[in-house]
Amino acid sequence: MVLLSGPRWLRSRLTDRFWRVQEVLKYARHFRGRKNRCYKLAVRSVRRAFVKSTKARREKKRFLRALWITRIEAASLEHGLKYPAFISNLLKSQVELNRKMIADLAIYEPKTFKSLAALAQRRRQEGFLAALGDGKEPEGIFSRIVHHY
Amino acid sequence: MAAAVVAAAGARRRAAAALLSSVVRHQSSQSTSLQQGLVAKTSLTSPPWPEVKLPDPVEEAKYHAEVVQKVNKMIATGQYGRLFAVVHFASKQWKITSEDLIMMDNVLEAECGDRIRMEKVLLVGADDFTLIGRPLLGKDLVRVEATVIEKTESWPKINMRFWKRHNYQKKKNTDAFKSCIWSKVPVVKRLMLLF
Repeated sequence: MVLLSGPRWLRSRLTDRFWRVQEVLKYARHFRGRKNRCYKLAVRSVRRAFVKSTKARREKKRFLRALWITRIEAASLEHGLKYPAFISNLLKSQVELNRKMIADLAIYEPKTFKSLAALAQRRRQEGFLAALGDGKEPEGIFSRIVHHY
Repeated sequence: MAAAVVAAAGARRRAAAALLSSVVRHQSSQSTSLQQGLVAKTSLTSPPWPEVKLPDPVEEAKYHAEVVQKVNKMIATGQYGRLFAVVHFASKQWKITSEDLIMMDNVLEAECGDRIRMEKVLLVGADDFTLIGRPLLGKDLVRVEATVIEKTESWPKINMRFWKRHNYQKKKNTDAFKSCIWSKVPVVKRLMLLF
């Protein structure tokens, strides 16, 4: 004969509900209003916060690049060059600094940035002469490509 | 002159430049009574872009040699203050000076306390001169060294995706996979210019 009423008294009960709730609330402690205390409201807010931070990590790269470009444009205009002219001529002179570095140099190393702007300006003029000059004049000095092999 | 101006109205730029050069040559070879500086200046006498003149190559070469000599002397006598370098490391570019701390989201095979040499140097600068690499500076020109200080796990970055009303939710913790390394960078002052 099987005694069935015994096992029915043993229920499996959740004993670590407190810690499961705290896992979520710990990310909500700096929120405003009841969502930093009440689990039901906090769950929704924390979920939105995680999703937003995930997406923002991809957009941060876009924002920062736009910021660097703005700063480089402002700095190169101080030296009489526009941003597309500056960047294209730097790349043609085989200087492969990225926009973050050029923006940092423009802020903290103005003399170096001035020399970069002068290099870009000179390469631009050599490019104009090469395009308009029908190939009879000698090639520019700064337009020579350096081969590393 | 009138014929030249009328012909230039066709293909503007190339024709204008060609005619201008031909007119200039004509003027320089024969100074007739007409072209005594009484040329009417119209909008098509000169090309619309500003004239670009490069400095004389011989003088410029002398000037370049002078500058290089000066910089060589300064480096040889050690007359520079603090040097900074732009280094390509861990797929990023960093602007570093001596006693700088760098943290990267990467695993380095070196142990803590190891001395590392960073070889891809893009730019080196001091107060009075800058050496710009095209794109890299030579390894015998600059020496940038660093010490690995710390290797740890990063703070727990959480990746979460959620679509509302679709019962779709995914959460991923990436603290176990990344490690951060702190390195201290003294720029060793041993530079030599070769040309």
